[in-house]
Amino acid sequence: MNLTLWFSLWQRSPQSLRLGSIILVFWLVVAVLGALWTPYGYAQLGAGLPLSGVSWDHPFGIDQLGRDVFSRVLYGTHIVILLALAGTTLGVVIGALIGLVSAYIGGWLDEVVQRLAEAFISIPFLVLALLIIALAGPDLSGDPILIVMVVAFVYTPRITRMARAAALDVITRDFVTIAKLRGESAWSVVWRELLPNTTGTLLVEFSLRAGYAPALVGSLGFLGFGIKPPIPEWGLMISENRQLILAQPITVIGPGLALASLIVGLNMFTEGLARILGRTVKLGEQ
Amino acid sequence: MTVSRLIIGRVFTALLTLWLVSIIVFAAVEVLPGDVAGRILGRNATPESLAALRLKLNLDAPAIERYWDWFRGVLHGDFGSALTSKRPVSQILADRVVNTLILSGVAFLLYIPLALIPALIQAVRRDRSIDHGISIVTLILLSTPDFLLATFLLITFVIFIPVLPAVSVVTATSSFEQWVMALTLPAVTLAVVMAVYAVRMLRDNLIEVLDSDYIRMAELKGMSARRVLLRHALPNSLIPTLNITALNLGYLIGGVVIIERVFAFPGFGSLLVDSVQVLDIPMIEATVLLSAAVYIVANLFADVGAILLNPRLRKS
Repeated sequence: MNLTLWFSLWQRSPQSLRLGSIILVFWLVVAVLGALWTPYGYAQLGAGLPLSGVSWDHPFGIDQLGRDVFSRVLYGTHIVILLALAGTTLGVVIGALIGLVSAYIGGWLDEVVQRLAEAFISIPFLVLALLIIALAGPDLSGDPILIVMVVAFVYTPRITRMARAAALDVITRDFVTIAKLRGESAWSVVWRELLPNTTGTLLVEFSLRAGYAPALVGSLGFLGFGIKPPIPEWGLMISENRQLILAQPITVIGPGLALASLIVGLNMFTEGLARILGRTVKLGEQ
Repeated sequence: MTVSRLIIGRVFTALLTLWLVSIIVFAAVEVLPGDVAGRILGRNATPESLAALRLKLNLDAPAIERYWDWFRGVLHGDFGSALTSKRPVSQILADRVVNTLILSGVAFLLYIPLALIPALIQAVRRDRSIDHGISIVTLILLSTPDFLLATFLLITFVIFIPVLPAVSVVTATSSFEQWVMALTLPAVTLAVVMAVYAVRMLRDNLIEVLDSDYIRMAELKGMSARRVLLRHALPNSLIPTLNITALNLGYLIGGVVIIERVFAFPGFGSLLVDSVQVLDIPMIEATVLLSAAVYIVANLFADVGAILLNPRLRKS
């Protein structure tokens, strides 16, 4: 595709998609740059006077251990984004697979899958996440892989329900019946007919879930069940710096604005994407 | 006939789901590799402490037998005794649940006007600047995680405008005024999170109803705009609102987990976090089951309400 085509696509896309994309590109660039270079080391003590406020050298101040909060936010960006994206991707892939296969096979298996998904969904998000973390035990506590698994596990039943509903819409159509009559295998029907025809729904769902994932990762970090210090995951930083919030609020406001603006970008992107694909999306659904 | 059958069916699914949750919660503790005692004690387990804990949890009995014992107890409101404090779980839960009910009740009362007023303004002033303005504000609030919103409110009303306390500690002897001070920030946070989600959907529902033929008809008959809105449009967006509210109740029970933590409020949510920290399995099982039960019952009420309010079903 040439540049003018891209430009006209850009001009025709909804405003929320454009703004969302700009915010997301900004954060992706920050994630890459922050992983490679930060003004001070993320765990470097004595970067400045502990609990000093905003200055040109330290835009987000200094935390109680003398670390530069701005550098920590920069370095933490790729951690937050990687954890959120890995967890969401895993959850969407597993959930979509279960949902599509379950819808295609139907019968008692579909019934069981549906009931189980329903039961998991009825356990509130954060409660389910805490249950998994408790069951994993202290030896796995703080492991990034555990966090990714938790996000994926919490999302899987919700995606399963969504994918199943989307597949049921497609299954009754002629091309699926024809594919079955042609003697295509169950796997081939799911892969070649159901998946391509539910991609739009799954994309919007992925985008929606990716928007909440940083909040979930942050919540776990905030409660002390996420990534362990000194890694500057934003939720963990907010909870660490909160202890002395009365002395220096900027050390909390900095990572807080980062987290909120990342999610604003993701949500705007989702809204725009849903509009382009002609789908309704309930932002903020848990 | 159809209505009562629909409702009975719905109650049956709710009970089935709740029973499945009890199996999931119990089985989750069983299925994972390594036994529960080993996981609770972690790396610094000694053979003696392991054996003692195994005996205490009755781990040598078959899983089905232990599930049955536990489940029978739960049916009678007996969740066993906590590992750490050795007091009955139900006794520890009772006080905390009452505190959380008070917090959620206040949050819920604040939620209704916070959801209705902006949505009504948006629907009436559609596509004007105030509609866009509220949309932007709700998008930003929606994107702010609840613990962060709570923290921002705390920075504003505790540090910049010091009118409220930073922690919401209440005891049995707290005065009414202390309760009000303690509840304000956590309740407002929860109410805003719920309202923001509702406003966006309620706006779209209201606009859809306002565009419908019978509203046009009412307007043509010369009914006042206020009467059309409050007497016709609002009641007709009630069914979707019921669903949103049920979803919000589901959020509320999870939301208190983190919001209570932010303000050190002694409720059900902070009890769950404490229990996870010390891996108090009977406490965790009870709290998870209870929170799922609230979600399931809330959704049941919303569905039954929708069935009863649906005029097409009511007639037959």
